[in-house]
Amino acid sequence: MDRIKEIIQYKDMIYSMVKRELRGRYQKSALGMLWALLYPLFQIAIYTFVFGVIFPSSIENYYIYLTAGIVPWTFFSEAVGQGAACITSNSNLATKIYFPREVLPISAVLAKFINMLLAFIIVFLFIIIGGVGVSPAAIWFLPIIMIAEFLLCTGFTLFFSAITVYVRDMEYIVGILMMAWIWGTPIMYSMDGLSPVIKTILLCNPMTSIIQSYHAVLYYKTLPDSMYTIITWVSAILVLVIGELVFAHLEGDFAEEM
Amino acid sequence: MNVNVNNPENAIEVRDVHKYFKVYEDKGTMLRERIVNITRNKYEKKEVLKGISFDVKKGEAVALIGRNGCGKSTTLKMLTRILRPNGGTIAEQGRVSSLIELGAGFHPDLTGRENIYINASIFGIKRKEVDRRLDDIIAFSELEAYIDSPVRTYSSGMYMRLAFAVAINVDADILLVDEILAVGDQAFQTKCFNKLKSLKANGMTIVLVSHSLGQVKQICDRVIWIEDGHIRDDGEARKICDDYLDDMEKKRLERIEVEAKRRADKEKAALESGDISEEEKKALREKQLKRLSCEEICAQCGPDARRSGSGEAIFTDVVMLNADGKPSTHFSTGDKVVIKIKFKAFDTSKNLNFTMGITRSDWVYCYGSEMRECTGSTISGKESGEVVMTIDSLALLKGAYFLDFWIQDEFETEIDCIHNLIVMYVDEDTGKDHGMMPMEHEWEVR
Repeated sequence: MDRIKEIIQYKDMIYSMVKRELRGRYQKSALGMLWALLYPLFQIAIYTFVFGVIFPSSIENYYIYLTAGIVPWTFFSEAVGQGAACITSNSNLATKIYFPREVLPISAVLAKFINMLLAFIIVFLFIIIGGVGVSPAAIWFLPIIMIAEFLLCTGFTLFFSAITVYVRDMEYIVGILMMAWIWGTPIMYSMDGLSPVIKTILLCNPMTSIIQSYHAVLYYKTLPDSMYTIITWVSAILVLVIGELVFAHLEGDFAEEM
Repeated sequence: MNVNVNNPENAIEVRDVHKYFKVYEDKGTMLRERIVNITRNKYEKKEVLKGISFDVKKGEAVALIGRNGCGKSTTLKMLTRILRPNGGTIAEQGRVSSLIELGAGFHPDLTGRENIYINASIFGIKRKEVDRRLDDIIAFSELEAYIDSPVRTYSSGMYMRLAFAVAINVDADILLVDEILAVGDQAFQTKCFNKLKSLKANGMTIVLVSHSLGQVKQICDRVIWIEDGHIRDDGEARKICDDYLDDMEKKRLERIEVEAKRRADKEKAALESGDISEEEKKALREKQLKRLSCEEICAQCGPDARRSGSGEAIFTDVVMLNADGKPSTHFSTGDKVVIKIKFKAFDTSKNLNFTMGITRSDWVYCYGSEMRECTGSTISGKESGEVVMTIDSLALLKGAYFLDFWIQDEFETEIDCIHNLIVMYVDEDTGKDHGMMPMEHEWEVR
């Protein structure tokens, strides 16, 4: 509890670190923040070309289905993948100044989260232009999914970033993990035609229920299945608690390990 | 670790703190090495602090001094809570801020103003507080004209000035400072220094780590001297600093002695063993001779003797004698002085010329003479020899004089030259001459 209180005391540092990350990232590029939109746009274009044109998918309005899943996924994979190195890459801070170390992973995830919010401009553009439209009865649920995903990301990032301090290889292992993980999540394909066994296996992946919820709200315009919501929140809180416990346990010796 | 202080007058209470670091034989952060290390667990515990205890009262300024690696920075890092002690407790009362890392979190592409906010937030300062202090910080940094330019365009001095301005304008009860007062130009350093003094005057508790004993004496009331992980002494700043300097000097001399002895032993062993050829032995002997200290050359050697030269020939013995032929450095005006100089030449093709100079203790050059100008010849083709210079009547008045000796070749290349080798004292003079030298003169009333 004291830890949470202290992290809240350092909310201005979190704000600064997020701002530094976002401003610093785009400051010198000519297109600036526009890249936060262009990047997902090209990503969608490439996947749509492969799965819509070369190997046509049976999913109707494939590019919208894809967009609704790939944007949240990119947030997850970038936040956890890059966040794994957030302590080691800020070692000059972590070895010299006292602050709650959680600030670093939280800021790293938050910066990516804001990137995702920007990318949602693309998502809404597509569902409106594509004729799917927005359903007020379902869309209010979107922030609830986003917050759950944010908590899940934070939990994983806390866990992996703390491990990376001790085992530097973790950074690369997480990268490979992400490469495989995307295929274990129904983003490019739909769960509908899959056998019950495979469905069950996929549901062990906390990202499955999250992406399915996004699909429900954005693509099918309904509230997500309550089973998905339960899995999402239970796994998010579980991962967050485990991540923080591991982080808190390892955090004391960070300065000595770097 | 987070215990409360026992005595409410104390800002910091350190009790029997131990700290060790794990020193891996080959520290592996790579997975493969980690796995190997888990099974073998090969590390040594290097004990940095072996149980130190001290209190710092509120408003007190304390310096931690000691040699490199004695544990003073480690202590400071534990006070900032970056490191945890392995044993013992540290209690602190009030808000702690540190001047350990300057410019933490600065992003080169962001402006000075933006970086102030980032940097301050890392020290745990609220945005509102920074808003309030922004003008002070900018004014202190003297960077008004550049504050909205990206930090990457700053010179390193400007960068440090900005960083220092943020760091020193923090609101804290306890300020921890690690060796960072060497920032910017002289004027800015003075300013930082004065700021630190005014913070202290306002009742801030300061703990400082510094090698600059001058700064320590000016800011701190009290000094804690840490040696080999223990507190060696703790007390009034001036006294401890002086003791520390004496000790450092003693250690330095001991070290020089040990090294000289080790070298001598090694060479002696080499000369006595049959492992090296005669030629090498000769070269080694030559080397030893060239390295002769001024004391070895001259028993009358003064404290400021300095030796230099290319070394084709060297002085091996210099002695100053009085009229009775006894070594002496004390004379009276008009005395006879004999200087005997022994030399050794390694390159006998050189034409050696000997020079002697006299300088008064206030660096007035009084006299000089060289052998070639007097005898019209130089020495060549001799491996060793002796040169004697005789002064029939010393024409100097009361004072202390330094004698310099040179071996030069005909082009005035310095082959061996020893400045201030002998300090000569003229204790008695004529009593009727004043200044540097006596003169033949007479007064008459007409």
